[in-house]
Formats: sequence, C-alpha cells, structure tokens
Amino acid sequence: MIILKIIGCTLIVLSSSLIGYIYGKSYKERLENLIYLENCIKILETEIMYGANPLPEALENVYKKGNKKVSFIFNRISQALKEHKSGEVLECFLMVSDTMKKNLNFKKEDVEVFTNLGRTIGSSNRKDQEKSFKLILAQIKALQKEARLEKEKNEKMFKNLGFLSGLAIVIILL
Amino acid sequence: MKKDEALIFDYLLQYIAPEISNILFKVSKEKKRNIEEIRLRNSFPLMVYCEGGDYYVSKNGELTQNEKDIFIVNKKLLFKTFQLVSNYSVYAFEEEIRSGFITLKGGHRVGIAGKTIYGSNGVETIKDISSLNIRVAREKIGVSDKIMKYLIKESDSIYHTLIVSPPQCGKTTLLRDIARNISDGMPNMNFKGKKVGIVDERSEIAGVYSGIPQKTIGKRTDILDGCLKKDGIIMLIRAMSPEIIVTDELGGEEDIKAIYEALKAGVILISTVHGKDLKDIMTKNNLGELIERKVFERIIILDNSKGVGTIRDILDGHTFTSVIY
Repeated sequence: MIILKIIGCTLIVLSSSLIGYIYGKSYKERLENLIYLENCIKILETEIMYGANPLPEALENVYKKGNKKVSFIFNRISQALKEHKSGEVLECFLMVSDTMKKNLNFKKEDVEVFTNLGRTIGSSNRKDQEKSFKLILAQIKALQKEARLEKEKNEKMFKNLGFLSGLAIVIILL
Repeated sequence: MKKDEALIFDYLLQYIAPEISNILFKVSKEKKRNIEEIRLRNSFPLMVYCEGGDYYVSKNGELTQNEKDIFIVNKKLLFKTFQLVSNYSVYAFEEEIRSGFITLKGGHRVGIAGKTIYGSNGVETIKDISSLNIRVAREKIGVSDKIMKYLIKESDSIYHTLIVSPPQCGKTTLLRDIARNISDGMPNMNFKGKKVGIVDERSEIAGVYSGIPQKTIGKRTDILDGCLKKDGIIMLIRAMSPEIIVTDELGGEEDIKAIYEALKAGVILISTVHGKDLKDIMTKNNLGELIERKVFERIIILDNSKGVGTIRDILDGHTFTSVIY
C-alpha cells in the first residue's frame, strides 16, 4: 500500500513540476527565438543591402544561413512568393503568423512587428529599405528586453510553482 | 516557331497581376501571337497593341475597339504588377528603374512611368507608378538572311551599315539578326564568323538577364550590357578586340565622337537610328554630318508598309542610290 502511495505522490509531484517547467520554458524560448529572429533579419538586411538579391532568393538564403529553428519561416515565405505570383508580399508574411504563435512561442506583438516588415520590404530603394530594417531591428531589441525581463520574472516562478503545488496536493491528499 | 509565340505571351502573364493575367489568358491564340505591347495605365482601360493598332480588352478577353464592358486598370493592380515585374525587389532594380525600364527573363521589357524623384545624381527613383508598358520581345531569326549579301564586301569583310527606321518597324530585330549572321558566319556565302561586340545600352539587343543573353546573337559575340555607347564602344575596342561593333539608336554628340574613335581603330560599325528616310536623318544634328562624311557605306531603310520590318530600300552610302538588285 505504502509503495503505491509513494508512486502516486511522486507521479503527482513530477507531473505538476513538468507543467510548471513547460510554462516556464515558453518564456525562455520566446527570448531565444527573438534572438534567432534578429539574426535572421540581419542576414536578410545584408542580402538586400549588399547582395541586392531578389527577395525570394534573399529569403531562401536567410533560411540556409540562419538558425533553422526560426529561419524555416523565411523559406516558407519565399516558397509562397514563388508559387502564388499574386504580387502581395504582406499576404505571404501573414501566412506564417500562425506558425510563429503556435510553434515558436512568439507573442502577438512579436508577430506583428515581423509581419509589418512585409509591408515595406522590397517595395522601395535601398536607402528606404535600410531605414525600415533599422526600425524593425530596434523594435525587436525592445521586444527582447521585455522578453528577458519576463523570463527572469516568470521562468523560475512557474518552475517553483509547479513543484510546490505538486507538493501541496500531495500533502492535502495524505 | 509559330507555335511558340503564343506561349511566349502566356509566359509573360506570370509577371502581371492575376486579376489582369486571367483576362489576358483568354485572348485567342491567333491574337496572342501578334500582340506587341500590353499597356496598363492607372484608371484607364487595359490595352494591347497588336497588328499595327491598339485594342481594348473586354472582360472576356476579347480584343475590341468599342468602350463597352472593357477592363479598367486600377492603382492596386499596377502596384501588384510592378511588384511581380521587379520580383518584389525594387532595391535590386534601382539602376533599371532609374533608366525607366526593367528587362525580364526572355528579354521582354517593361517600361515604367510615374512620378520621378530627383536626387543628387539625377533621377533617383520612380514612385506612384502610373503606367506600365510590357513589350513582348519577339525574336525573328533569319530576317536578315536575305539582305546579308548587300552588306558583305567581296573580301570577307562587312560594310559600315546604318539602319534607318521609324519606331516599331523592327530595327532592333534586324540589327540583332545581322549581328547573329556576322558572328556565326554564313557558310553558304563563304563568310566566316567574325568577332562582334555589342554595346547594349538599353538591354534590347541581347536582352541579357542575369548574365545570359536571352536572344540568339551568335557565338562570337561579346556584350556590354547597360553600358552607354560613348563608354562602351571604347571599352570594347580596348578590351575585347572586336572586328565589328553593333549598337542601337545613335544620336548623341558623344556617341558620334565614340564612332570616330572606333573608325580610327579600324572597327566596322553597324547601328540604327530613328527616322523616316534619308532626308529625315540628314536634318539631325550630329548624324547628318556622319552621313555627309560618308562614314556609312550601306543604309538600310525600313518601314511597315508591308507589315513590320519591310525593307524599303538599301542605299549605297557614297552615291545614295539603291543597291538592291
């Protein structure tokens, strides 16, 4: 009987810790992905400013050079641009916004900043492109700062909360 | 050959906003073969230039001349088309946009009009695009075969040649084919291929797209793409040792200077000029002088009296009499 109880208690504590860990991890991931995203956008900037590669090709190169964990969205946009031939860049950017939210732990405002790039990218000369890159990189930096603060505040808290609430349940049950 | 021509048109449609290309796709095959220009103007009807006249396009893809039920282009569609033409990359085509047109794969050209913005180095960009003109590039291999015998000097050499023609009468097409014939050589006339240099200021002759000429211009041909004639002629002479230099649309004072430079180097020139006939070009400032000095030994005059690219006459540059026999 006691063995069963011990197993049950550990299961409860483990699972609630796991829930806490997962919650906490999403904050860590958001920050990581924001950093990867920033790198990808910097690569894109180089592709455009110095390589003067056409947008679909530039996006594909970002996919190849960047961290695959995030850069696959650039490949998707590139494929969409090549296949749809609709003349709408923004549309193709918006197509990945769901993936960004669900799979990459980005928040709504992160996604918005990124998809806003779709409004300006490619539609003007290099000088203007440089300005919009500067803007988006500054915005992402700000988001990173916010994400870091949130991570510091919440990651540990959720982890501890998970473990402790598991303990609490066990105590109540006992 | 004929079968391909309708396909060329269909190929071009991928560069046009889907709303418009769906309509143009419905145009009959017969017409597609002959369409030379597709014109998009902000809040005006979609038009095509075909067989020497222009037509509206109805919503069912018929070419018509009455203004009922026709398709009107709007700003959004123009912008979309511009995005497709520039491959969503205006920044990559800055130079081209500054000169007013973009060359597509296949050598087709898209002319752009809108509000020009001036910077410190002249025109910086064009914004608020108001018109796009998509010119279908048609390559007519063999148009010069018949006239080559008038251009070959007996001793394995070529005459300095000038092609005179009003716009859209096929002078660039003819020029390109002459270049091809000279470059590849003509075994049946016992003419061996020669080194040809093309200064392609407007990317029209060779239609170079990412480094590869899209037109058949011969295997002994070097191309300076997008280069001004005054620079290009001298650069070619210095670098590529051509025997023949081919350029389009002479006119400017500096072009003429470069031509004298080429003559000094013993290079043979083949060029074109806008004009109706000999009288017309004699009145032009710098060009008249070239003719009077009898620099050009053969003058080909084109018009479209019997369809595009009719060769009206070939004159001897010294006596100004016809050499056609």
